[in-house]
Amino acid sequence: MTWPILSIVIFLPLVGAAFILALRGDDEAIRNNARWTALWTTLLTFFISIFLITGFDRGIPDFQFVENHYWLGGTIRYHLGVDGISLPFVILTTALMPVAILASFLAVSHRVKEYMIAFLVLETLMIGTFAALDIVLFYVFFEGGLIPMFLIIGIWGGKRRVYASFKFFLYTLLGSVLMLLAILAMYLHAGSTDITVLLTHGFPRDWQPWLFLAFLASFAVKLPMWPVHTWLPDAHVEAPTAGSVILAGVLLKMGTYGFMKLAFPLFPDATRLLAPIFGTLAVVSIIYGACLALVQTDIKKIIAYSSISHLGYVMLGLISLDLLGIQGAVMQMVSHGLVAGGLFLMVGMVYERCHTRDLAAYGGLAKLLPVYSVFFMVLTLAAIGLPTTSGFTGEFLVLLGAFRAAWPQYVQGAAYPLIVSASAVAGVVLGPLYMLWFAQRFLFGPAKAPHLPLVDLNLREKTILAAIVVAVFALGLFPEEPMRKTELAARQYQVLVAGLRTGLPVATLRQLPSSPPGSQTRPATPLASATTP
Amino acid sequence: MSWIDSAIAMLPEHLLLAGIVILIAVDIAAPLRKQVSLLVSLLAVGFAAAAAVWLSSNGFAFAAFAGHYSVDPATLLAKAIVLALAVPVLLISRDDVGQGAFPVLLLSSLYGVCLLLSADSFLTLFLGLELMSLPVYALVLLAFRRPQSAEAALKYLVLGGTATATLLMGVSLLYGSSGSLALSTFASALGSPDTMANVAVVLVLVGFFLKAAIVPFHAWAPDAYEVAAVPVTAYMATIIKAGVLLAAVRLFGTAPVTRPMADLLAILPLVSIVWGNLAAMRQQSFRRMIAYSSIAHAGYLFYALLGEGPGRFQAVAFYVLVYGLMNLLAFAALPQNPDDTARDRMDNLKGLFHRDPFAALMIGIAMLSLAGIPPFPGFVAKFLIFKNVIAAGFTLYAVLGLVGSYLGIYFYLRVIQYLFMSAEEPTAIQGSPGRLALGASLICLLAAILLAVFPGWVIDLL
Repeated sequence: MTWPILSIVIFLPLVGAAFILALRGDDEAIRNNARWTALWTTLLTFFISIFLITGFDRGIPDFQFVENHYWLGGTIRYHLGVDGISLPFVILTTALMPVAILASFLAVSHRVKEYMIAFLVLETLMIGTFAALDIVLFYVFFEGGLIPMFLIIGIWGGKRRVYASFKFFLYTLLGSVLMLLAILAMYLHAGSTDITVLLTHGFPRDWQPWLFLAFLASFAVKLPMWPVHTWLPDAHVEAPTAGSVILAGVLLKMGTYGFMKLAFPLFPDATRLLAPIFGTLAVVSIIYGACLALVQTDIKKIIAYSSISHLGYVMLGLISLDLLGIQGAVMQMVSHGLVAGGLFLMVGMVYERCHTRDLAAYGGLAKLLPVYSVFFMVLTLAAIGLPTTSGFTGEFLVLLGAFRAAWPQYVQGAAYPLIVSASAVAGVVLGPLYMLWFAQRFLFGPAKAPHLPLVDLNLREKTILAAIVVAVFALGLFPEEPMRKTELAARQYQVLVAGLRTGLPVATLRQLPSSPPGSQTRPATPLASATTP
Repeated sequence: MSWIDSAIAMLPEHLLLAGIVILIAVDIAAPLRKQVSLLVSLLAVGFAAAAAVWLSSNGFAFAAFAGHYSVDPATLLAKAIVLALAVPVLLISRDDVGQGAFPVLLLSSLYGVCLLLSADSFLTLFLGLELMSLPVYALVLLAFRRPQSAEAALKYLVLGGTATATLLMGVSLLYGSSGSLALSTFASALGSPDTMANVAVVLVLVGFFLKAAIVPFHAWAPDAYEVAAVPVTAYMATIIKAGVLLAAVRLFGTAPVTRPMADLLAILPLVSIVWGNLAAMRQQSFRRMIAYSSIAHAGYLFYALLGEGPGRFQAVAFYVLVYGLMNLLAFAALPQNPDDTARDRMDNLKGLFHRDPFAALMIGIAMLSLAGIPPFPGFVAKFLIFKNVIAAGFTLYAVLGLVGSYLGIYFYLRVIQYLFMSAEEPTAIQGSPGRLALGASLICLLAAILLAVFPGWVIDLL
């Protein structure tokens, strides 16, 4: 008998939550016990999730660690499994959770017990989303995640927390209602809710755009993509630090993951049809997010808008349908989870000390908080995409992929994809501009802070940040191993979306290096293939 | 031995009747203490529910009065659901309803529901429907706590009477066109081109709409729900609604619903969903809000009749079970107070999380489940209904219904906001639910968890 590792990883946090719920004693003892129980639960979950990496066979393109049990009747089953695409997200979640818990050790002092329970429940739902192989089960986890986050923002958030939490909930749910409709329609058409079955079902071409738009409504809001991004800055600003970390680090990835795992491969025809629009929206998000980040005076908002910009790259990579672009997108997602998560943490640390997020109130922190500033600078550079950091790997691969895909089309006379890809480069210029300008005003210049004297980072904070920085460099310096793990899944995604299954005419023939037998990919021209149906 | 079979077939009803007789007889002999009468009624309802489950699991089917009354496993299961939902209602009634008449009236009404669910002819249907409704008119008045009680009860009585009259008119037309009082005449009249049959169908439907509070026949519900005592409101919101809807499923059978009747069956419930959800947003009284929410839920339930025949019973039974449990959970967790008007104010819920985290959590779970948000069982219930509606080809109505359900999210979230995110209200009352009410909420919670984790097993039973 094999251990149901995925189920253990999913439900262990819930067990921890139940444990915390049962805690009794005086207030102080409950508070401490809740903190430590939550930390140990998340750490244990993380260690168990390591078994997923070590046990993952990168030579098998199929889903691994599969569990399949009776659940809702009919074809709707409790079906779990991970492939090379979902594995990084599971690990990202389990790795960020201890960080988030540790970050709220002192920042949260009221209702600690309930706070920790909310986070642990959230972890269960997030991991479940990434591991679900049944579309209804996916929906249950995906939607369920809204509730703890709604409470985290609404109870432990800032001044306008109620407004922000309602906006967050109502915005994301509207899209999801439409997705539920699409799921129902798919269920009745395909007679199954199993994602592995649906992927090979091939929905009629006149259905696909509608189904796709319904999924788009849900995932684009979650992502968030311009123009449905407006909930994000509010939610980030009002959320407690750990909430922002998880929001940026994991919850936003549910949107990109949804596109990658469901929307694009399920409806390849619609994807190719809408690819030019999609590429445009991605680039608008990149540039728009960057421009807005440039003019913010609230330090948390700067990071929030930079998230919109960074996730634009992910979409660009996914829609390019180039292997490097796809893998770059996955890398960019993980990297953004680490970097934005880390930056939100650092903003939270300075907020705990000074109780304001107004950029104008700060200056020259390098003199006041030297250790803090070093870490901040490292993460800033990673956000910009400096070589040797994970940000570089992701961004560079995405752009490379986008150009590799666009060039052959340009040669054939379709200039639009190339224009889109070229515009994305503007983000590479704007990124350093807003981040470095921010760092300059924040860290350098005449020293000032609203609350002097400041105490530099303590051991707890240093440990958290060191762990993140190590991961950022590890992915920047040694990207091969993770890239290999994702390669087969990325190829499969490429095959599914590029339309080989439906046998559409393929405009270009490109031999991919070292493609394994059986997946001799002949990717169709992305972005503009709609013009050559 | 057919008389034994008849007796067994009506075992749940007999047990209820025994409870009623004991309660009345003993009450005449010596006025009963509250606890004892509660215990007797709990036993009667509990045994009746157990009997229904036992008969159903043995696959018992028998026509006790051929053409008028019959049971089969599905019917018995429906009775079991309704009777089981009555247990928490009785448990929360201890603190609110003192008079000895309450359990008798409640049991009589339950007897009516059971009769209604076994009806094979319109005669039995009418009997059941009236026996179900008449005690409730009295129940609304029983805990006379506000001056408006009389007005609301009268409103309910008049509109309930109108419903009965409309239904009877429809039945007489059906009898006129088919010469039979069998329930199946309705199903065959559904697809009939005959105008008289169509008018009859519409009239019968309107009668059911009135009983279930579908817009525009909903006006009685908010008033009656608001002024009745909490257990009576809970009873009306859960069991009466469940009885009416399960009877409607029996009425429709597995007959396909076609246009233009389908449009009538879809549009009014759709309006109910939208209007119920919109009006609920503005309410300052908790029970009024639940009333509007129940108007919206009646809309979803009638939607289920649009779906394909075989799936209807399953969808409705699962839905009323979940919906009933969640309403009862919320009512059971409401803080206690002798001042009924004060207790009912939404402001009372503000900051409940800080005063009584358990109660806040229970009400929160109930609200999210009623809103249909996964992973709570309300989601699975809605999922089943909308799946059937789409499978039957009414995609547009499904889309509109789901969008309408989205409108409802806001006011459920507002309750959550009051519970968890608001500062404590200084004028809020400080009572906490009694022990029996706590037991009721635990029962509902456990059932809800079971339904959320193992929905498949429950659905297969239905």
